[in-house]
Amino acid sequence: MKFAQICDRVEIDGATNAPLDISALSGNWLNSNPDTTGIARLVMSETNGKLSLQVYAVGPNGLIDWGTTAVNILAAGPASRVIAGFTCLYDFGFAETVLQGMILKGLIVLAQIHHFKDESQRVDYFVREYFSLAHGRY
Amino acid sequence: MTQSYEFRQSGHLNPALTDPATRTLNAEKLLGRWVNTNLETQGVAEIIIEQEGERFSVSVVGVGADGPIQWPKSRATALANLEEEAGQRALALSATFDFDFMRAETYLRVNKGVLVIVLFNTFRDHSGRSNYVNREFFYRQD
Repeated sequence: MKFAQICDRVEIDGATNAPLDISALSGNWLNSNPDTTGIARLVMSETNGKLSLQVYAVGPNGLIDWGTTAVNILAAGPASRVIAGFTCLYDFGFAETVLQGMILKGLIVLAQIHHFKDESQRVDYFVREYFSLAHGRY
Repeated sequence: MTQSYEFRQSGHLNPALTDPATRTLNAEKLLGRWVNTNLETQGVAEIIIEQEGERFSVSVVGVGADGPIQWPKSRATALANLEEEAGQRALALSATFDFDFMRAETYLRVNKGVLVIVLFNTFRDHSGRSNYVNREFFYRQD
């Protein structure tokens, strides 16, 4: 087994090969910042064991639906079956946005990397925001 | 910034994105040799961030079984980090490390003098290992 850091040298058994439980990410995640100019809401849906994401971002005239994309799910470690994050890509033509999410203390900490491909001379930028699950319990 | 630009969120229209001052953000806080705050780490021991002109590179040393493992040096993408608290503008970096058996997509930022790296690791070798996310913290060792 090849590794670039010793923590990646792990024993793999049947339990390790079990599918990740992705239910912890399913649901409607709301930005903790009501004044965000970025992503307002993440809608995570589970279909046939796969997770997909629909993003709603803040626009000048209301929310903008980015559409649905597949996400790559990530565990907490190389031998872990506990979901701990995800990555995905939105390609808008004029720009690409990479989303890299990490679950911390029940929040999604979402890093957004925006890369402009047009001639607008806008600089690529990075934003990190927090999202909480709208669980409706309290 | 005029709204003739294409956008998918209001943030894409932030005037700071075309402000010349944003293009020349000082990278000094990121540059140098950084050592993991966790003496017992089994992951990344050390990071060196260098700048040559407008180009940035990131060198990573992993903890190995028989000594340090030098990762292939990666060219990094500089990103304006406009959302830091107190309205401060800073630089963040993204860098990808490609191995034949694994790919590590990372972002790096400095928060209150601590370098934070988040690694999104994907295995390509069908070893059965889970793809995973990990975060580590580093202090500057000049």
